[in-house]
Amino acid sequence: MGFEFSVITESLPALLAGAKLTWIITILGIVGGMACGILAGLGRIAGTEALGEKPHGIYKPLTVLIRYISSGYVETIRGTPIIVQAMFLYFAFPMLVKAVFDIERFRIEALTAAVITIIFNAGAYIAEIVRGAVISVDKGLLEAGMSLGISRFQLIVHVIGPIAFRRMIPPLGNQFIISLKDTSLFIVIGVGELTRQGQEIMASNFRALEIWLTVAVMYLIMTTVLAMTLRHIERKMEIF
Amino acid sequence: MSSIIELKNVCKSFGDIEVLHNIDLSVQEGEVVVVIGPSGSGKSTLIRCINCLELISSGELIVDGIRIPAEKRKIRQIRLEVGMVFQQFNLFPHLTALDNVAFGPSKARKMSKSKATDIARDLLEKVGLAAFENKRPDQLSGGQQQRVAIARALAVSPKVLLFDEPTSALDPEMIGEVLDVMQNIAKDSGMTMVVVTHEMGFASQVGDRLIFMDEGLIVEEGKPGEVMKNPGSDRLKEFLGHVKHH
Repeated sequence: MGFEFSVITESLPALLAGAKLTWIITILGIVGGMACGILAGLGRIAGTEALGEKPHGIYKPLTVLIRYISSGYVETIRGTPIIVQAMFLYFAFPMLVKAVFDIERFRIEALTAAVITIIFNAGAYIAEIVRGAVISVDKGLLEAGMSLGISRFQLIVHVIGPIAFRRMIPPLGNQFIISLKDTSLFIVIGVGELTRQGQEIMASNFRALEIWLTVAVMYLIMTTVLAMTLRHIERKMEIF
Repeated sequence: MSSIIELKNVCKSFGDIEVLHNIDLSVQEGEVVVVIGPSGSGKSTLIRCINCLELISSGELIVDGIRIPAEKRKIRQIRLEVGMVFQQFNLFPHLTALDNVAFGPSKARKMSKSKATDIARDLLEKVGLAAFENKRPDQLSGGQQQRVAIARALAVSPKVLLFDEPTSALDPEMIGEVLDVMQNIAKDSGMTMVVVTHEMGFASQVGDRLIFMDEGLIVEEGKPGEVMKNPGSDRLKEFLGHVKHH
């Protein structure tokens, strides 16, 4: 059984369909994960000097609550395997909803479960990236902004944000690539992404070499596109 | 003359350590007050309290009619009227010189982009850096950065400017250009200034009043020339002996 190039051409349409799905899940995961990550990352340092002045009065307990919620989210996600998260959301969560709300038919589509899982998973790691970058911003720059009389919101958007974002790009690149590869784990809930497509073709023709080689190359192409996009942004923004 | 800054019995502590003890001070409009003192004497803390970068622990602070701690919500208004120049310049690294100066007018004063840019261009010209408007801070020398920082503080048209050791981080040959700019601001615009510095030449030429602080207290104050000629305390005599050798 030598290397049969025709095996690759025959399986290409199915593999490309899988790659497309992988790509879609990843992009949704990155966009949603960024939103989650920025919220939770800022949430974990709400009310600390990293975001300007410490709050007074009723805002103080509010920021404590926000910090607890954000930290709880990050630690829960980081502390459990993504496969378990996907299984829980796809199999266990609907049972929980049925039991608690007494609903007859409640289920989550596999694809929906995959997208939600990757969003929340990436979000937790991105939160730490955001937090790290924000606390690395020189306190003198915050004081310079505050001494001009701008609001906290303006301080975050116009001073902390741009400076921190530049520093976030290299670790974000890492996380985006990890998230893309993590989508392969959704094979366990039956999402027809690239790895599952490969697995199914392999199961019918037993051509492991050709199939897994093609699958690997397809992942490599997608991660390369991600990495190059990040490099492009990095160069355009001139990191400080 | 009316006082624009008033400190009444102000104390400031960090944890258990009290760095300002019962400070009484009033600064008149248009006055240039120079604060000197050894490191750890509380002089930086004093001016950082004036624009509320540090909140006073007790006593009362009145800036441009706003009372702290009673009107804590108006801290931003105080800052709009009280600009600050830092030892480490603290220019925004992601913005050009022009955008650094235009930042305050457009964000804090909410002016249109074009109006803010006009103000910024004028001020950069005033500090002699019109040709550098598109340079980023890391492309400028320390002296140039500090002049941009002065222009940035001036751009929101404050009533008071605070200087926190503005020349201490500079190479010796760049100190003069920054002091010249400060002197011009004091003379041309009659700006109220509180300057923490070790530059005794600047103190005697530009200062209306010299304040000597030690261990959180105002030990001596008066006309700069007189205080320097006839220091009343041994502590000041010793301090002046140290700074004169530089």
